[in-house]
Amino acid sequence: MKNSLGPNKRVVGTVAVLGAVALMVTGCTRAATDGGAGTGSGSTSTAAAASPGITDTTLSLGISSPLSGPTAGPGSCSVAGLDSYLEAQNAAGGFEFGDGKTREVTLTYLDDTYDPAKAVSNYKQLVNDGIFAYVGALGTPTNAAIMPLANKDEVPQVLLITGASAFSKDQASNPWTFGLLPTYYTEGNTFGKLLADAGKPITVAVLSQNDDFGKDYVAGLNDAIKGTDVKVVDSATYEPTDTTLDSQVTQLANSKADVLLSAVSVTPLQVGVLTKAQSLGWLPRIFLPSNTSTPGTVVEPGGGAAYPAVYSTSLTKVPASPTFAEDEDVKAYNAAFEAYGSKIASVFTPHCAWSYAEGAILGEAFKGMEEPTRDSFMTALKSIKGFDAPLLLDGISVDTTQDDQPAISGLTLVQYNGKGYAPAAAY
Amino acid sequence: MKAFLARPIVRIILAVVIAVVIIVAPITSSPYVNYQLSIIAVFAVALLGLNIVMGYTGQVSLGQSAFLGLGAYIAAYGVRMEWPIVLTFLLCCVIPAAVGLLVALAAARLRGLALAMVTIALPIIGVPLAKRFPDFTGGSQGTSVSFLEAPDWSGLADDQWRYYIVVAIAVVLFLLGRNLVRGRIGRAFAIVKSNEAVALSMGISPYRYKVLAFTVASLFGGAAGFLYIAVVQYTSPETLSFATSINLIAAMVIGGSASILGTILGAIYFVVLPIAAGQIDASRTALISGAVLLAVLFLLPGGLVSLPRRIVQLTSGAKRRGGSTPANQTPTGGTAPDGTAPDGTAPGNTAESAAQKQPK
Repeated sequence: MKNSLGPNKRVVGTVAVLGAVALMVTGCTRAATDGGAGTGSGSTSTAAAASPGITDTTLSLGISSPLSGPTAGPGSCSVAGLDSYLEAQNAAGGFEFGDGKTREVTLTYLDDTYDPAKAVSNYKQLVNDGIFAYVGALGTPTNAAIMPLANKDEVPQVLLITGASAFSKDQASNPWTFGLLPTYYTEGNTFGKLLADAGKPITVAVLSQNDDFGKDYVAGLNDAIKGTDVKVVDSATYEPTDTTLDSQVTQLANSKADVLLSAVSVTPLQVGVLTKAQSLGWLPRIFLPSNTSTPGTVVEPGGGAAYPAVYSTSLTKVPASPTFAEDEDVKAYNAAFEAYGSKIASVFTPHCAWSYAEGAILGEAFKGMEEPTRDSFMTALKSIKGFDAPLLLDGISVDTTQDDQPAISGLTLVQYNGKGYAPAAAY
Repeated sequence: MKAFLARPIVRIILAVVIAVVIIVAPITSSPYVNYQLSIIAVFAVALLGLNIVMGYTGQVSLGQSAFLGLGAYIAAYGVRMEWPIVLTFLLCCVIPAAVGLLVALAAARLRGLALAMVTIALPIIGVPLAKRFPDFTGGSQGTSVSFLEAPDWSGLADDQWRYYIVVAIAVVLFLLGRNLVRGRIGRAFAIVKSNEAVALSMGISPYRYKVLAFTVASLFGGAAGFLYIAVVQYTSPETLSFATSINLIAAMVIGGSASILGTILGAIYFVVLPIAAGQIDASRTALISGAVLLAVLFLLPGGLVSLPRRIVQLTSGAKRRGGSTPANQTPTGGTAPDGTAPDGTAPGNTAESAAQKQPK
């Protein structure tokens, strides 16, 4: 009988069967996993209102950062520092919470190779596994992709390691998202203020990356020097894919400006800028952004000592620096990193120190958390003021109460002294 | 076994079972699993395009991610401008296809390494270009959209609704792609791939068919871009990055060059491997992925799609050694029921194998 059916009838039959089956199964919907929030990890013996990922004795956090590929160094550090702090604290008895309980805090980390689609996938996996909060992820595009999801799912996406202003400036629209670090705008602005405070005519040349990051730096500078005698006399841009910036530097050297703001985020290119300018006999005071100002990899290879001054901004103590060898924070960090973080990240970048401080900020938020819910966590996290997180330089503290700024908005302007950085003198 | 599979009734039942699984899966799965299934469908479409130009026509294309990204940006822009969704989808197909056509008109005159170089340029130019037009692309921070929410009448969650839309479009594109490569044009592609001089002597213009293959590949890439936005709801210059192109090519080879089923297996590999590697050790994903890639290429040079044949080969080999009669010799290199390529050449060196003189 069936064999005598023509192809068309067969198709119709197939469709009919499929339709019937589909109708039958649409009756049975998914059980409890709706809303994207998962159902928590196992038995939640706390109050019925407890959020996923928290029990009387544990709390689970998740992070997705680039652990392989070109951004693997900073990405691994964004996990390693945080994990070091959390594990060291767990080993010391756990975290105290505002509801009087002590919990062990675990961190699940995944690799997204700086790919937004993978980051979204990882985020969904973590939420599916029942994390309480998504914390400390590194990367602008990856976090930008997750932001709408986190705010829809009402999952905290907090203390993100990125200098983009998008994650903190509109907290009314994105109440579940919150950045950790000062923005690129703040960096440019801090440097601009130094020039403006000098109170004399200064000429500035600007070299910046041709995208929104570069624009943020320049906007910060321009806002700080508006209406003063400080003038931008020439500017040039570059692409991160450029192999050399010699022509830009040559162009800017012709301006004979007193100061060069070199907002270059690629390490080898920044070294090239430092060597090229002095080879042309142009020795301005130079400002380097925080991510390309490491003495060992940028300033020394670039011959930074030849310039009258090399400025940068800094947040944290450098654990390897002899200056801080006897510092209690640094000792604790080094011990914790040796024990836990070193298996995740092998090379130090400042992100290790930032994410370590981030662990302490989380601990501070837990202390203020009176109920085991995400709401209570966000309330506690956003009411931290004047907290001196470990490794932060003197004068910088955590203030999460400003509704258009990340957790850390203060910066210290530092100056290269031949070996490392020290707080900058006035211009 | 083969005869059994070839019977129409068996094939229909198989098709129905697969279809039912595809339809039922999202209803019982978590949003996370649905996201993975949807993203597999997205990259399957991109891989199908790549397979048409590389696997079936034998032309190296290292620029598929550029078309994926272009489609995604057009879709994101269309959603923000509130264009009708069908129009947006059509533009996501047509514009990348037109760009692909323009590039191919020039590039298809080249062959081998020169052709590969031209196609590399697409993602390399695309990334800074995407950063330069923030009004259209959202700059380096990318652009988020929110659309394709499940309508109330469906009773579905957003992830289920998106899954159905994405998979339905992918299935239609796969049927179109399958018909293309199995039909007259597909035969022409195969001849262009194996020997351009022979193709010319048969009245088939290699140039024209290469341009066609590129255009179709770009169209599928653009369509995959639309699906990408439908699932991920976000795009940034990273989507276009050259690394994505390379990973797509690896996935195509792993799945099985010049095979429809291999394309789907490749997409599953592309999505599932990083997740599996992350489960094993999140700080060693690149290492694990590399090891798996090598293992598959050594053990299954024809890709995952050749696994059943390979198993049959090995088992029948063992039987022979065991002294049983070699009654049921497996046909190697023959056409598998899934439409595996008739030529058994290992994938990867397809461009070189077509290195004949071009009499143009």
